[in-house]
Formats: sequence, structure tokens, C-alpha cells
Amino acid sequence: MTATQIRFFSLLRREVNRFMKIKRQTLGAPLLETFLYISVFGAALGSRIDELHGVDYVVFIIPGLIMMAWAINAFSNNASSILQQKFQRSIDDQLSSPASPLELLLAFSFGGFARGMIVATLTFTAASILVDVPVEHVLVLLASLFLVGFFFAQLGVIVGVRAEQFDDVSFYQTFLLQPLIFLGGVFYSAALLPEPFQTLTYFDPVYYMIGLVRYGFLGYSETNVALSLLLLTLAALALFALNLRLFARGYRLRA
Amino acid sequence: MARVSHALQITDLVKRYPTGTEALKGVSLEIEEGEFFALLGPNGAGKSTLIHCTTGLAQPTAGDIRVFGHDAVHHYAEARLAVGLAPQELNLDWFLTAQESLEYHGGYFGMPRKERRERTRELLDTFSLTAKRHDRTRTLSGGMKRRLILARALMHRPRLLILDEPTAGVDVELRLELWHYVQRINAEGTTILLTTHYLEEAEQLCQRIAFIADGQIVAQGTSQELASEYGVGSLEDAYLELVGRKELSRAHIAGDAA
Repeated sequence: MTATQIRFFSLLRREVNRFMKIKRQTLGAPLLETFLYISVFGAALGSRIDELHGVDYVVFIIPGLIMMAWAINAFSNNASSILQQKFQRSIDDQLSSPASPLELLLAFSFGGFARGMIVATLTFTAASILVDVPVEHVLVLLASLFLVGFFFAQLGVIVGVRAEQFDDVSFYQTFLLQPLIFLGGVFYSAALLPEPFQTLTYFDPVYYMIGLVRYGFLGYSETNVALSLLLLTLAALALFALNLRLFARGYRLRA
Repeated sequence: MARVSHALQITDLVKRYPTGTEALKGVSLEIEEGEFFALLGPNGAGKSTLIHCTTGLAQPTAGDIRVFGHDAVHHYAEARLAVGLAPQELNLDWFLTAQESLEYHGGYFGMPRKERRERTRELLDTFSLTAKRHDRTRTLSGGMKRRLILARALMHRPRLLILDEPTAGVDVELRLELWHYVQRINAEGTTILLTTHYLEEAEQLCQRIAFIADGQIVAQGTSQELASEYGVGSLEDAYLELVGRKELSRAHIAGDAA
């Protein structure tokens, strides 16, 4: 291994080690939350709802729940980890090392990405035990989940870097992220909504992300898959470029 | 290639914060390889800012910083490899154990696993932390945290060790223990830059001392040179002259009492 590789993997291991040490909170709680959604919305509410677009209601909501698990965990992990390290000033140990802004950004990003991936995989496994979850377009599914995870990992980094107190992180998560995800159609099809809510949903970027993941699982989409993939790729790259610029400038990290 | 004899060479260093505060106003400083050098000054004089600029924790507005001839600002990798920082704050990662703190630090500096493990074992032993190696850092006592901070700074075998008020708030026993250790590694060739508020510490440990005030180096030399520059009998009196509090001088107080 080269010194650069050792450095990068040490930075990344620190991020993974952090959430593994508090796995009841970082992995167990989100898993339970998703299980409760499946139970309440799927089993209880689903028994009153007929099929949606040819699939059982519980199966219809699982792709959105998996995407939500990856997105929220990628975001909250990175935002919290960076803010905690800024707060303790322990981040100075990484910042005064020879690590480049790119190495630092990738390590912080992939920490949350990995946590999101673990929770999403566990959610998928648990859901597959309870119901039959189809995977119609595996490549689109993997690409979509990877891009969604990466996008929200970048969003978590930017919020963590900007945040000065823990309230800042919970503000973005509670008042921005969760409404966008819930109103993006995790639990329903936008086609069923009355106006103006149906049109408003089209302005929610998460709607297109859920559409992509649902297409990967169920083979059904209300959105243009190719265009959504392209726009999501561009958005993730734009956020990454912005974060790289902020890290290179040392924005709110270096005095 | 020219022979490098300066461990740290700072030229016309300016640091202006976004608030407009100018913490460093054209500081120039040279520390020779192998030297034990102290930087003294009142709170807010610019000591920590100078250290932060040298270690990459602050970005200089203007000027040049070289560590063993390597540019510490623009092509910083080599320079940072050569520097170990023991900061004033006990900035340990709460999620890590004492052992992990050292091993991760070694990793951040590119040390291979085998070397990291050996060096970690050696430092835990040197600083009497072996029994606490699996304890999370937040559960360690203040003295143990201070020792771990110093061990972490030394983990990657830096050629220049920066100690920012290393003995602030530590008991006499630990202070003496730290003094002996840093004197030993200085004798083995490590250059040391020390900031402290304890003048006797600077006087006992350091070959040269610089006074910094209001973002500028105002005097430097040996303890005796500084005293004579200020026309007083001791380093303490020279310092009190610097901060404009000569009425606190022991000689002055003794004169009043008489």
C-alpha cells in the first residue's frame, strides 16, 4: 500500500469505526424505524389498500423505504461526524496531516455512504424475509442507490461543515430532508394525488430519486428514468465539486 | 541542492481573519535544526495563530513558511510529515481508545500497519498508558489526556515538535516527567518549538526565546540577551517590561516593601 492509500483508508476507517461503536443508534434505530414503517403502513394500512400499479401496497413502499434509509443515514452520519469532530477540535488531527482536501472529502463522504448502504442492505434483507421483493432492473437499481447515497453523503458533508451547533444539523434533517422525502412519494403514488399536490410533487427532487429506485425494483416508474439518472448524476457531481472547493479553501474547517 | 539548516523558517507572515483582526503582522522567525526554542507572549499575542499557520490549521494571508526547506502552505505534504503538534486543547477523539488515537494518527501520516503497531506499543509504554490502552479517551484523566496528546504528536516521528502550552494545568510530577522526556528527544535531534506561560520552563528548557506581542516578534535571543535588551536582571522582568506590567516585578515589589 502507498502512503496515500494508508492515509485514505485510515481516514475512512475512523469514520466507519465511529458509527460501528454506536451501532445501536446508528444502525439499530434506523432499522427498527424502517421495520415499523413496513409494519404500520404495509401490514396495517396495506390491508385496506388494493394493489398500486400492479403490486401489493407493502411491496410498493419498500423501494422508497430502502432509498430513504440510505439517504437519511448517509446525510445524518456525515453531518454529525464532521460537526462532532469540529466541536471537539479532534478534526485538527486529520487537518494537520498530509491528507489532501480530496482525500479528506472522500473519506468523510464514504463514511456516511457506507452506513447508508449497510442500513439499506439490512432493510432489503429484512423486507425480503417478510415479503417477496422483486428486482427488475438491477443495474438501474444499483446505479440509482449509489447516486442517491453519494448525493446525500455530500449534502451531509456540506451541512456538517457549515453547522456550528447540533441544532443546525437537526434543522436541515427535520425541516428540509424528511419533508422532501415523505412528500416525494415514499408511501404513495403521485399519480393518485389531487391537484395542486400532484404538480407540486414534480418540483420535489426526491420524487425522481424514488422513481428511479422504484423502477429498479418494480420495473415501474412515473418519471423519465434516463433523464432522472442524468440529472441525479449532475446534481451529485455538482455538490461534490462544491464540497471539494470548500475543503480546498478550508471553509469553516481551517481558520 | 542547498544545505538545509533551518527546521522552521517563517518570512513576513501575515494572518488576517475574516473579521478584519490582524493576528500576525509580518512575522519573521528562524529556528535552527536541533534547537529548543520558546515563543513567549501574552494571550492573544499571536502564538497559537503562528502555530496554526505552520501546521495547516490556519491559512496565512501572506508570507512564507518553510519546514526543513519544504513549503508548508502550498506544497504542504512533506512539511506536515516533518511536524508533530501537541496542541493546547485536549482535542482527542471521544470515539477512539488511547491505542486507536495513536494508530489512526499514524495512519493519517501514512505509516504502514506493522510500524504503527510497534510505535503505538512503544509510546503507550513510554507515557505509562499501556494499562489504559483500551479505554476511550474521554474517560482518561486530564494528565493522561495530556500524555496521550504528546504521544500522538510524536507518533509519526516528527523532526520538528510543536508544543503549545504542554504543561498548562498539569501537576508538578507530570510537568517534570514531560520536561525530562522532551529534553531527551531534543538531545536525540528533534527540534522543539515551545509556547508556554511558565517563564522558568522556557528558561530551563530552551536555548533561545522569542517574545511575540500584538502579532509581531519584538525580541529574541537567549534568556540573558533578552534581559539585557530590556535592561533588567531576569527573563521574568524582561517579560513584564514587554507586557507593560513592570510594577509586578519581584525587584520592584521588594523595593516597595523596603
